[in-house]
Amino acid sequence: MTLLQWQDTYSVGVAEVDHEHRGMIELINTLHTALGAERSGERVEAFLGEIFADISAHFALEERVMRERRYDALAEHKADHERLLDELRDIMDAQADGDSLDDAQLGSALAEWFGLHFRTHDARFHRSLPR
Amino acid sequence: MHALKSGLRWCFQRLEAALERAFGPRFNPLPQLGTLGWFLFWIVTVSGIYVYVFFDTGVTQAWESLERLSRDQWYLGGLMRSLHRYASDALVVVVLVHLLREFALDRMRGNRWFPWVTGVPLLWFMYACGITGYWLVWDELAQYVAITTSEWIDAIGIFAEPIARNFLDSGSLNGRFFSLMAYIHIALPLLMLLFMWIHIQRHAHARVNPPRELALGVLGALVVLSYAWPAHSQAPANLDRVPFTLGFDWFYLAVYPLLEFVGGNVLWLALVGFSVLLTLLPWLPPLRKPPPARVDLANCNGCARCFADCPFGAITMVHRTDGLPYQHEAQVDEDMCMSCGICVGACPTATPFRRAGVLSAGIELPDRSVAGLRDEVAAAAARLTGSPRIVVVGCAHDADSAALADERTAVIGLPCVGMLPPSFLDFVLSRHHAEGVLLSGCAAHDCYERLGDDWVEQRVANERDPNLRARVPRDRIAVAWNNPARHQRLRDSLAQFREHLAGLGPVRMRASAADALPSVTRAWRARLREWPGPLRWSGQAVVYALLAGFVGFFATQPAYTWLRQDHALLKLSFSHAGQPLKPCRRLSHEEMMNTPFSERRASDCERGRWPVYVELDLDGQPVYRGTHEPAGLWNDGPSSVYARFEVPAGRHRLAARLRDNGASSGFTVVAERNVELHPGENFVIDFRAADGGFRFGVPARPVTDEEAP
Repeated sequence: MTLLQWQDTYSVGVAEVDHEHRGMIELINTLHTALGAERSGERVEAFLGEIFADISAHFALEERVMRERRYDALAEHKADHERLLDELRDIMDAQADGDSLDDAQLGSALAEWFGLHFRTHDARFHRSLPR
Repeated sequence: MHALKSGLRWCFQRLEAALERAFGPRFNPLPQLGTLGWFLFWIVTVSGIYVYVFFDTGVTQAWESLERLSRDQWYLGGLMRSLHRYASDALVVVVLVHLLREFALDRMRGNRWFPWVTGVPLLWFMYACGITGYWLVWDELAQYVAITTSEWIDAIGIFAEPIARNFLDSGSLNGRFFSLMAYIHIALPLLMLLFMWIHIQRHAHARVNPPRELALGVLGALVVLSYAWPAHSQAPANLDRVPFTLGFDWFYLAVYPLLEFVGGNVLWLALVGFSVLLTLLPWLPPLRKPPPARVDLANCNGCARCFADCPFGAITMVHRTDGLPYQHEAQVDEDMCMSCGICVGACPTATPFRRAGVLSAGIELPDRSVAGLRDEVAAAAARLTGSPRIVVVGCAHDADSAALADERTAVIGLPCVGMLPPSFLDFVLSRHHAEGVLLSGCAAHDCYERLGDDWVEQRVANERDPNLRARVPRDRIAVAWNNPARHQRLRDSLAQFREHLAGLGPVRMRASAADALPSVTRAWRARLREWPGPLRWSGQAVVYALLAGFVGFFATQPAYTWLRQDHALLKLSFSHAGQPLKPCRRLSHEEMMNTPFSERRASDCERGRWPVYVELDLDGQPVYRGTHEPAGLWNDGPSSVYARFEVPAGRHRLAARLRDNGASSGFTVVAERNVELHPGENFVIDFRAADGGFRFGVPARPVTDEEAP
């Protein structure tokens, strides 16, 4: 079962940003599958680390694109990026310290975590771009 | 060279440590020499514009107009005039110490050659500005500067007629030459400004303004000096006399007295040679530095954070080359990269939490990989015992952080502390590698790699990407910026930090999403014993007073002896065309008729003249013998003579002889004269064929004896 499905409505209309969104959905799904197959804490931790690095880089790029296009809600959007990264780090720490979430929790946390930002902040950015 | 540099470095580091006690790190003048140079340049510009409004560019009015300004408007015009002089002098001090310091601290080697090399012409511009400025006042010092500079330029021998002949006596002074000088004095600073701009081109976020308090301090010192010791002209220039002594600006004119000993050509050669040596210094010997940063495209999405943080402008964002749907990628210019690693610290993929595959950041130093750094941090921390454990991250130029290692302290050395990605701080604390991290770097605002400390502070304070995650407790991250001479201060910081950590208990990152994030956003720093306020202020006052005193004193003192007491100056100078190598031949009527109308002329002359040979005897003793070749590419111009001799005042017998026809003996013109030379007199022996030969002194001078045949 895949956790997240790419939807065309996710597209923000910037090729490089969409490319990274797809890549991240893929990565989260891979993690989810791995979680189902073998519950190895270390492996989950490693995956989370990759996700963290990818998302950090992705946010950095997205913020650059927004800054260059003088996106008016950059400050709020960036604040949400920072919040998401902090929360992801909380999840990573919980995982590393052994009090790991179960599959469902982790999966839904990530899906929620990622999907909500998609549906709200990224969508607003998409709407702000000239067609 | 190496010993000289180490010695100088030792001195600078001690001096800076001393100044830091009085000024604190933010206002320490030594790291601000470049910005102070800019500031002084602006003072000179503004005061110069003000003085120019009241300045008459005329040989006779210039001196008068300036003295009137100083007298009638002493409170503003006089102040501006004094500031113009003293700020220019202070600029020389600041620039020379700046040059010495960059040399001593080795901040001009290898890829940092650009500001150094572009600084060399700036030196020439600065001196040329000062010299032309002293010229304009047209007082006795201006007279000295005009004559000596002209003689010096004449030593090159590119002008057909010596420029110094413009200042031979009051009769030969040309007003237009003087206004030309005024224009040069305005054009040169403009050119200098252009070069100042070029000078800082390779520095990202170049600082051109000193901190306000420091700027006000320097301005205040110069204003006090200006009121206490206003700049005045010396007596008006009089080309018929030579002053015995001159108030001398040693900042700008220090090399001039050398001309009396070594001659113009030698001095030119020495200065040009010195400039060439300076220019080559960044490569003497070539710097051996680690390989430059390398971009790993698999991990680069073109976010441009490395581009934003590189202190040397070595990174550019270029169009994507690997076909991925990104617009840009980072590209490192190897000729500009200093291998400081600050770009690595900015890269969002340089995070130690990555464990799935090989950890490779989007940009890496080949000699100091992020993966290696992670392993080193983990291994070093694992060896720590006791509590609280501290990981010190130091740089290659700090106050010897390596010496801090013990059983409770792990030390990680980086080229620059700005290389540390902030997520490493999160990593160390959240993975329980240590209870605190101390970041140790160069003195504040004086990072060897220019911006390392600034970026670290801003990343920790959430002011610059990549931010340190808000969940990381800031009171477990300490910064310590220290001059290499202040190792003890670094030790004290560490000791205090450990004490502080012991009071905090176990590390607690944010426990759950519901927890509030820590409110403190700045890195922790030790409260070190500083000098009490009054002592600091006194220290600053002493430094400003020393600057003002030094500048004020050497702007006019010690006096320079131009001419010995009871002496007069004898000048033998003229411009005279020798006779043609062959006499002209009148063309016959037929010959003229046979040449085309447009080329017809009365006589046929061969180009080329005989050199002029001249002798001068004083009281029967030879003082000058010289053969002077004709000027011009065809050797058909006049021969020029310019020579001067110091002669005791009193009665003398002068004999001058000239030969201009290529004969092997005998003279075309011979003249003798008894003269009475007064002390300080400028006595010119001229030769004008049209006026009957040699002229002794200005024409109005009464003849003391009959002219010899």
